[in-house]
Amino acid sequence: MKYLSYHWKSRFTIILLVSLAVVGLLAMLDLTSWAEQINQQGYTHGGDGEGKPNIPAVLMYVLPFVKELVLIGVPMLLALLVMTLSAAVKRKLPKRKN
Amino acid sequence: MSDWKQNLQKTRYVMDVLLIVSFMIISAPQSTGIPLHEWGSLLFVVPFAIHLLLHWDWIKKSARRFLLRSTFKERFSTILNYLLYIMMLLVFVSGFLVSVSLLPALHITISIQDFWSKVHNEFASLIMPVIGVHLALHWRWIVNLTKKMSAKGVAL
Repeated sequence: MKYLSYHWKSRFTIILLVSLAVVGLLAMLDLTSWAEQINQQGYTHGGDGEGKPNIPAVLMYVLPFVKELVLIGVPMLLALLVMTLSAAVKRKLPKRKN
Repeated sequence: MSDWKQNLQKTRYVMDVLLIVSFMIISAPQSTGIPLHEWGSLLFVVPFAIHLLLHWDWIKKSARRFLLRSTFKERFSTILNYLLYIMMLLVFVSGFLVSVSLLPALHITISIQDFWSKVHNEFASLIMPVIGVHLALHWRWIVNLTKKMSAKGVAL
């Protein structure tokens, strides 16, 4: 792990300090009117266990991973498509003379 | 496979695989259960920090390159990387602020705010497409390294 151990203490300290500073700023978000509004409205995620879907137990374990693969995979494929198309368009366009 | 530690690109590849696999495991609390999700997230700090350490040179040069000379793709990638870093920290901090397993186990009691629950759930989903685009921007590197790492009979 020579690349990882190279100056790792000083580098890790900088990363830690910067991250703690950013976390400190992010934690202040709960002082905003946005947070106040959400706290007043209330928030529930995925219901309270009422009306559980009637699907096999195995799927209950597999579906969250499928969701992740879709949420990561689809934007990845779209971005690859956009990059491939833009590269193809660039190749076809005549090069500008300076 | 034994020699990957001697090569920066291969070290990055192995650590990045570890990072994405651990991310996917901790991002599925419905499958793993809340305690594993929360304790796993605490451990996830390690591969996340390793990822940043292994890209130290990029971090150091990114601001200067962004301002001076870079293509649209490079600039977009830089903005996306910093956005991803901030989103990851936001998911971390909101996750700890809505903890129902980790903090109580450490005898730390906090009152959970709906705001942090909403932020945690929504940004945890939002971060995934950003990771997808991040992977797409490094797709050529991923394919090349996968070929190198899986090549039989080639000294790694």
